[in-house]
Amino acid sequence: MLLAQNITLHRSGKEIFKDINISLGDGKIIILKGKNGSGKTSLLKTILNILEPSSGLIYWKGKLIYKNINDYYNNLTYIADKTTSLRQLTLYENIKIWRKIFLSNVSYDQIKNILSILKLDNYLNQKINTLSLGETKKFELLRLIIENKKFWVLDEPFTNLDFESIKIIEQTFLDHVNNNGFIIFSSHQKPDIKNVEEIILDKL
Amino acid sequence: MKFIKKIINFYFREYKVNLSGIFDILTNITFFFISIFIFIFSVGPEKETLSLLGVGILWTLLLLSSTLSLRKFYQDDFENGSLIVLHLNGFSFELISILKTISHFFFVQFPFMMSIPFASVLLDISLEKMYDLFLSFVIGSFILSCLGSISSSMNLLNKRNYLLGSVMVLVFSIPIIIFSVGLINIEDNFNSLINILIGLLLIIFAINPWASGACLKLAIQNN
Repeated sequence: MLLAQNITLHRSGKEIFKDINISLGDGKIIILKGKNGSGKTSLLKTILNILEPSSGLIYWKGKLIYKNINDYYNNLTYIADKTTSLRQLTLYENIKIWRKIFLSNVSYDQIKNILSILKLDNYLNQKINTLSLGETKKFELLRLIIENKKFWVLDEPFTNLDFESIKIIEQTFLDHVNNNGFIIFSSHQKPDIKNVEEIILDKL
Repeated sequence: MKFIKKIINFYFREYKVNLSGIFDILTNITFFFISIFIFIFSVGPEKETLSLLGVGILWTLLLLSSTLSLRKFYQDDFENGSLIVLHLNGFSFELISILKTISHFFFVQFPFMMSIPFASVLLDISLEKMYDLFLSFVIGSFILSCLGSISSSMNLLNKRNYLLGSVMVLVFSIPIIIFSVGLINIEDNFNSLINILIGLLLIIFAINPWASGACLKLAIQNN
């Protein structure tokens, strides 16, 4: 579904990455690995069509992504390394806003179940700025379920998470790819999931 | 239909954000009123002087007060990544800037308009002039919101000097002040001046999405 051919990115005259090839389709997971500053986030932003590659082409369902951008974005969820939830509002208010903005058909009961799995159900009426970094990250990842899209793009999804939470996220990834979803994410640690394709940016 | 629903839901989000920041808006209005008192104390309590300077004072203070809120126009959504998420959910940067400008007008500028009758009493502005003042405020403050959108989006590209955007708004608002104050004080030219103000509004409203959208896109790329 997503095909990136020989993409190269230069920023401020500096080569960030060169000749990267990515092929992503149903049931596939790709992990981007590399040192800090190796260009993982830039590659994700290039895939998202936020940064324009210096050379190379990216296709979505056989068409160039900028010619098929609406369909591409309709099928994509991006979780950045920041928290997009509104820190001055409660978890419940944020969920309400997300459900409305993303026109989500995921019910509140389903969301409550996931919150209890993530052990966030007791904080429903607390403001985001009272949560710890790990709890905020887990709450941010809830957006994957609320948006309910096929293609997940995640930047450092395991940062600040404890071992138990990482296991839950790994299981969520597996469930998603078993339902024909596909994922690309950057991380310093390799998840405990079989058949994950690695792209290492340090080699470049 | 889906698109309209998304826009309505965008305003639900803006309403929630502004409601949680209601104290910022109240602080701005307090700044506005305290500044009026300072002007009254500095020029003296004579009715004639206040009535002569009142409209100009109100307009200057509206301008200064509204520049206080400019820093938050895009900054929070930019820093927490919400702008990217909104963009990936079908909101182009141009559309985001239009929606944000309208939101700023309703949630930040509108409370100032509500305070005009009280401010008019303090500055001895007649009821007849107050209607004209209200009309000029509606048009002028929308122009200020558009200018605020452009300057705030430019500020995202310039992380070293936040005041530059405010300076830009002040410079570009000089013609708005001239025509708005003239609208109330020069009664013979009411129609021509109101047409000029509406014309300025249409020009700046047309430029705003392209200028702000381009700055937002660049800022996200450079981040």
